[in-house]
Amino acid sequence: MSLTSLDPRVTRLNLPEGEQPPVEAKPVLDQFETYETFHQKKEGTAYTYVGPVHAPNEEVAFLFSKEQYSRRAACTGMWVARTSHIMVTPYVGDGENVYDAIRTEEPTERSEQPEAYEIFHLKKRGKAHTHAGRVEATSYQEALQEAKKAFGDKGPIVNVWVVKSKHVFRNNEEDKDMWLTIPDKKYRDAVAYKVMDKITKYKEENKTTAVQ
Amino acid sequence: MYGGGNVFEATKFDTLQNEDPVKMAEFEARIERGEKIEPNDWMPELYRKQLIRMIEQHAHSEIIGSLPEGTWITRAPGFRRKLAQMAKVQDEVGHAQLLYSAAETLGKSREQMLTDLINGKSKYSNVFNYPAFTWADSNIISWLIDAGAIVNQLANAKGSYGPYCRALDRICAEEAFHLKYGHDAVVHMATGSAKQREMIQAALNRWWTPIMHFFGPPDKMSTHTEILMKWKVKMASNDDMRQQFLDMYVPKIWELGLTLPDPNLKKNAETGKWDYTEPDWEEFKRVINGDGPCNAERLAVRRTAEERGAWVRRALLNPKSKYVKPLA
Repeated sequence: MSLTSLDPRVTRLNLPEGEQPPVEAKPVLDQFETYETFHQKKEGTAYTYVGPVHAPNEEVAFLFSKEQYSRRAACTGMWVARTSHIMVTPYVGDGENVYDAIRTEEPTERSEQPEAYEIFHLKKRGKAHTHAGRVEATSYQEALQEAKKAFGDKGPIVNVWVVKSKHVFRNNEEDKDMWLTIPDKKYRDAVAYKVMDKITKYKEENKTTAVQ
Repeated sequence: MYGGGNVFEATKFDTLQNEDPVKMAEFEARIERGEKIEPNDWMPELYRKQLIRMIEQHAHSEIIGSLPEGTWITRAPGFRRKLAQMAKVQDEVGHAQLLYSAAETLGKSREQMLTDLINGKSKYSNVFNYPAFTWADSNIISWLIDAGAIVNQLANAKGSYGPYCRALDRICAEEAFHLKYGHDAVVHMATGSAKQREMIQAALNRWWTPIMHFFGPPDKMSTHTEILMKWKVKMASNDDMRQQFLDMYVPKIWELGLTLPDPNLKKNAETGKWDYTEPDWEEFKRVINGDGPCNAERLAVRRTAEERGAWVRRALLNPKSKYVKPLA
């Protein structure tokens, strides 16, 4: 006997009925590695962290991020970076500045030429990391020192993320029109549903039933 | 939508006694001050465990919950409703993705969560073990199950764990459309022809018990959750959330001239709270433990999707990939 469903498409799958033997644990990278996504809500504003996605490579991560994080909200640009490429400082308490707490560490790896690093600040726990700016350095540690000089005195900063600019995957400027949403998707907006008109009309017409 | 009726495990206080008292005091003071906990912070094992359980259950509920509504996309009356239903289902699956990542920051991999779902080791919201017989059932889910979930999610969004709060903020923003869409669909049926009214009333009758179950067992029956409330893992008791839901939605149901299948349901003028007949909690337990009308189908469909997609994931996997848990 196979499983019968109210949905004929499920019935046609001919799935076995009754309790099934347990599945084996999924292999370690079955769901791929993770990428962190930052979006720009409005032209000219700082890129802000929106969340992670799982993907096999950065191009796919970008596509997934576009679906996940720009599908329903305004977006004018997106950056995606592999999680393992992001260096994370310790977290301090709200109101404190993490740059004061960081001890200078010897870089484990240093590039011959300075290269660009992107710096992201978390201003308050529970909020999202925001792009503070870009610095030139030969290591993550030096980038952090440069960031402290450049943007470290701007109020409380509870955590910093540092990532090499070359590790940030972005959309090309000329592809900006990918962020335009076609206007006839109004059915996804709450304002498209004028429920009150119908309810009021119904109540007018059925004064007796509505009172009970 | 969909988060709700979390089943907490009995609090084991002996696990608390093994925790470092100094770190524990710092942790509790941080929560007391209203600061959020971030993934790399020290946290008691019990906090970690209960959050994983709760966020994971919520994620599973999103992904399983999209199944009964998903089957109605092709049969939704009219092109516009198909588009809206499709957009809603897509949102729900997106919510699952956000929630799985939030749970992952606590140290449980998405692979393990998906395996535990299919093997019945971790639960999802009980309501999705019931069938959606007609389009009207789908409408009731869209409106009232989402409404219940929003009550729950708005409360949890004020919780103490940063990644969960961030995910819930995004989720709640998208829910605004779901709620209006669901309400509009129910109003359309309730103010339509006699046959449409009959269909929506029948669906409402069928769903009332699952909806009452949705917020979980009554406080007097549920496991000790004081410490979870103190740690802002659980933000309101099951009964409080049920009361809040009744307060917001029973009047909206009644104003459409629809009835609810509980003769004892009324707002008590003295207590200011709703009186109601306790739904059958034995049925709740039976269904959550696997013996509901749709448990087997829901898990079989999920299992098939995972199995059929496995070769695609294998083909795409970069052998040099290394797993790192998401940052926030």
